[in-house]
Amino acid sequence: MTAFQLDAQAKVIVQGATGRMGRRHSELMKQYGTRIVGGIAGASARREDSDVTLFDHCADAVAATDATVSITLVPPMDVLAAVTEALDAGIRCIVSPSEGMPVRDALIAYARVKEHGAIWVGPSTPGLAIPNRMKLGFIPDVSLSPGPLGVMSKSGTLSYEVCFRLARRGVGQSTWIGVGGDPVKGLRFAELLPYFQQDAATRAVLVLGEIGGSEEEELAAEMIRLSFSKPVFVLLAGASAPEGVTMGHAGALVQGGRGSIHSKMSALREAGAAVFTSIESLVDGVTRSDV
Amino acid sequence: MLLLEHDAKELARQRGIPVPAGIFVDSQSVESMQLENDVAWVVKAQVGVGGRGKAGGVGFANSTREVVDFVRTHADASIKGQRIAGFRVERKVFFVHEVYLGFMVDAERRGVRVLLCAQGGVDVEENAQQHDAMLTAIAAPDEASLIAAASQLLAQLPSSFHGPLAPAIAALASAFVAFDATLLEVNPLFVLADGSWIAGDMKLAPDENAFPRQPELERVVRARPDVYREANFKLDHDFDYVEIDRRGQVGLLTTGAGLSMMLIDEMLQANRRPFNFCDVRTGLLRGSPTRLIEVLKQFKNGPEISVVLVNIFAGITDLGEFAQLLLQALDAVPEITVPVVARLIGNNVDAAKTLIAQSGRPITVEMDLDKALKLAIDRAGVVA
Repeated sequence: MTAFQLDAQAKVIVQGATGRMGRRHSELMKQYGTRIVGGIAGASARREDSDVTLFDHCADAVAATDATVSITLVPPMDVLAAVTEALDAGIRCIVSPSEGMPVRDALIAYARVKEHGAIWVGPSTPGLAIPNRMKLGFIPDVSLSPGPLGVMSKSGTLSYEVCFRLARRGVGQSTWIGVGGDPVKGLRFAELLPYFQQDAATRAVLVLGEIGGSEEEELAAEMIRLSFSKPVFVLLAGASAPEGVTMGHAGALVQGGRGSIHSKMSALREAGAAVFTSIESLVDGVTRSDV
Repeated sequence: MLLLEHDAKELARQRGIPVPAGIFVDSQSVESMQLENDVAWVVKAQVGVGGRGKAGGVGFANSTREVVDFVRTHADASIKGQRIAGFRVERKVFFVHEVYLGFMVDAERRGVRVLLCAQGGVDVEENAQQHDAMLTAIAAPDEASLIAAASQLLAQLPSSFHGPLAPAIAALASAFVAFDATLLEVNPLFVLADGSWIAGDMKLAPDENAFPRQPELERVVRARPDVYREANFKLDHDFDYVEIDRRGQVGLLTTGAGLSMMLIDEMLQANRRPFNFCDVRTGLLRGSPTRLIEVLKQFKNGPEISVVLVNIFAGITDLGEFAQLLLQALDAVPEITVPVVARLIGNNVDAAKTLIAQSGRPITVEMDLDKALKLAIDRAGVVA
């Protein structure tokens, strides 16, 4: 896996730029400062009133603009094709917000991303941001504020709420990355740890995790392996979810005792993280620390 | 979501996978059931969780009478908190070996985990641990890679297994891909004296995200709205809703899966009982109150709901527009008369406040989520 890195100046293309979401969010990302240099139009798209320069294919857009980053604002069944097209055009980092991508498609997409040595964030992610410089995706401006916290989250809304409260108390973010709520994804918590370790702007890490899967346990193991030196604050959601029922996020599922909150909590605490199970206790914990 | 064994086996049978002949009965249809005489039967409770055999959900019968008795005795039972949906009655299989063969998505390794164990059956986990007998490999999610990986595992078993298991591997690897499954597990996989094989039990977890290209799986799920409740709700309404507690006190009309889960946790920490989980996804309301109406209608199933908590963190949603939709939805479901605490924050919140005040409804608007949560907790009272 290629190590995650993020360049606030990178040139970005929008795949699905002429859809309802594509139009709206292209504009919002641009306003925030993201260098949106082009969009890919659907075959039957209305092109007249687009705010971005439109191209038929990723390869055309990359040739004309030297874009290295893409955001795929396409329907879930089309994400695999969009990721494949972006990789073939030479895009190095792809962000896929779509919810509802089939798991088999995500497995195939990941294999292709790996083969190309590229980076894939998502699917089912609100995106990522460097506050006041760029954002890729839907993270609301009101929650974004520059500061010391490296944020990684499985959930969109929970991260909006937590970062909004922290920002009001004067604690903002260095880099904010939504890894997404699906089980099979391009970037997992543990894979972001080296980035936060070397990123000078990050003085502590905030993790918004939830039941299901093993990402939190992997993160704990990686903290130990890297002798991670910055404070890690974790909020875990879903302690009370019934077994065998998917709680909105496809990955938020406790099955046969696997993915329960208890193993996550104990693994993270053993690795030295401060773990919380309510928003306000987390916000207090972070603001009382000296980050 | 796990399909009932019966549904999984019927789907498999249609693909030519050998399964014991069987029928689905419930406590009513069992009374008119016609079975052949002088046949040994297995009666298996149908429930979407594992460990059924050890929980007493499987019985053996030698006559129609014994089958009916088993069904009558167990019809109202639950296994691991799940109600029994019915029973599969099938011919008992006489076998020489019980094998375990499974394919499952491994999210951590981002591949498909193939598992094979020569000592299958209900004790497979203990056997595998004691004898280190579970063979496993990771493969790419295509049929050829799955077959290649499983065949390498098979090569490690005694040659007497090779004849029966090679076709089993081919058939099940193909089905795993064709069904867009996240899990396909056959345990026990019976090897018969004549060298053939048959699927004794089957667990199939389809990927709901793949339903747009899996019409047959969607049909199976839609045929049992009472069994696959959440999946049917999502198919019908395109958002997630889960009833958590029939006796819950707080109805949640919220957006965002992670934040809704967190609210449920915090309410339970405060000794209040939330009725439901939901992620209504305000970004997809598109000017229609339909989604809000659907959630409010669900609250009619909750006799003890004493407050509705609305939480909308509006990144780009216009809250004035949302307030209008909320009022329309409350008009459309007049049975819901309990107070509403609406936590609204973001774009155009003042318009929302004005509209709500003008409506004269018992709705308290609060911008701080913690305060809104406390208001809802106070209104819900203490759990009896």
